[in-house]
Amino acid sequence: MAGDDRREEAALVAEDVHKRYGDTVALDGVSLSIPAGEVFGLVGPNGAGKTTLVRALTGTTRCEGSIGVLGAAPNAVDAHRVGLLPQSFNPADRLTARELIAYYAGLYDEARPVDAVLDDVGLGDAADTWYENLSGGQQRRACVGTALVNDPDVLFLDEPTTGIDPAGRRSLWSLIDGLAAGGTTVLLTSHSMTEVERLADRVGLLRDGSLVAVGSPDELIADHGGDSHLLLDAPAVDAAAVSAALDTEVVERDGRLVVRNVALADVGGVVADLEAAGADFDSFTWAEPNLEDVYLRLTGEAMVEEVGR
Amino acid sequence: MSRVRRIRAAFVAALLAFTRRKTAVFFTFFFPILIILIFGALVQTQPTGGGLFARPPAYYIPGYLGVVVVFTPLSRVGSTIARHRDGNRFEKLATTPLRRWEWLLAHTLVNVAIIGLAALILFALVLLVTGASVVVGPGLLALAPLVVAGVALFCGLGSIIGRVADSQDGVIAASNAVAFPVWVLSETFVPPAMLPAWFRSVTALSPLTYFSRGVRAATSGADPTAALLVLAAVALAFFVAGALAVPNTE
Repeated sequence: MAGDDRREEAALVAEDVHKRYGDTVALDGVSLSIPAGEVFGLVGPNGAGKTTLVRALTGTTRCEGSIGVLGAAPNAVDAHRVGLLPQSFNPADRLTARELIAYYAGLYDEARPVDAVLDDVGLGDAADTWYENLSGGQQRRACVGTALVNDPDVLFLDEPTTGIDPAGRRSLWSLIDGLAAGGTTVLLTSHSMTEVERLADRVGLLRDGSLVAVGSPDELIADHGGDSHLLLDAPAVDAAAVSAALDTEVVERDGRLVVRNVALADVGGVVADLEAAGADFDSFTWAEPNLEDVYLRLTGEAMVEEVGR
Repeated sequence: MSRVRRIRAAFVAALLAFTRRKTAVFFTFFFPILIILIFGALVQTQPTGGGLFARPPAYYIPGYLGVVVVFTPLSRVGSTIARHRDGNRFEKLATTPLRRWEWLLAHTLVNVAIIGLAALILFALVLLVTGASVVVGPGLLALAPLVVAGVALFCGLGSIIGRVADSQDGVIAASNAVAFPVWVLSETFVPPAMLPAWFRSVTALSPLTYFSRGVRAATSGADPTAALLVLAAVALAFFVAGALAVPNTE
């Protein structure tokens, strides 16, 4: 009963979802609930299971477990309410951007005006260019457009900004912001932590087919991001000596000293203490943890996690 | 209406995508013309002599039309499926209201349009180049449903090949391996009397045999209904099987 209630309230629900490809475990008991109107970012290393989870949620792969999309099974949900941009989507290359959008718009009973979609994805000026002659970023934006034609209630975007330049990326971010403000539920996968941190209300981190952390970016950073720290370019200085002088933990990495757990307000004092201790450094950088630190720690790909541990 | 809208959208997109591939368009029409020029003009038939082409020129009309009815839909639908799969297009389409049979119908209609035009040109060329004589009458109208049924049949088979083959290269190889013997051994170029008795029952299993019989009947003033009905029934079966073969999962 509780599961049924969750399914009715949430736009997307996955309960104990498993998927194997031969001996390879792609999804290992993933459970997830995404309320309507939320932007949910899914991150993880290559092969972690992000695309498989998107496919499971859209019913385009068979898996074990329970999945609900807008209160129905993925294959039973009203297709007019769902939009998908698959990973590595490569549509017909000799259709113009306008024809491509018109094609997908024609598959729905009610679709948005083609020109409005083209404007949304910034292709108004390239509408009559064949897809194969668009730049990589324009191609990806045209692909995003195909997922927006039906004004979906739930939108799956599998790496939507891959290959898009910074300006185009920011334009798409604004578009996704607008969709979310209008109540669209968005599940987006990305390798850009900046993007996810910027867009997502909550973030799920997949590793080896399992969701190892779910929360808002701030929560994840607070729980897993580590401490703010000071990086010193001080190749000739002994870390142990500085550590003893400051009475705090200092480690050496790649020719730089890392002073852990330094709040922004304390930077001046720490720098003064370093100079008083005779530590000779060329420059320093203060850094606070971000989602990328969380990612690196939780996926085991960390290099900087040694900082402050 | 929404179904018509979906099929029309898929049809228009597929037609535009095809017609903008000039090489594909050229060879779709050039290949059968080449066959006519080789067999009809260079080799020529010898009605009074022996050998492979011992029948009157009109006997070979089904063979010439069969070139486009068999080869084109097999390779086009098969490779289209492979290309769609490579580009994750079916993953996308599976989340839209478009049904698998609607997708196949749209692509079949594109093939009907292209092959219908090609068949018309070929038919005229056969009459012109080979001197084949046909009985002009209402029976000739049966050529249209025969071509449509044949195209639908081989679009369905092309879909199955596209599903089974794991690449575009594989589709082309498999299509040729299937198409050539079917084309040659379905009462098109080789009369049944020239085949071993045991093989004639195999020939009767080929759906193109009924296309050949139907075309031959339609062009000779005989009744093509029986052949057309068999061909239509088999075409429906292959179309349904082909629709089920269109991928809807990764």
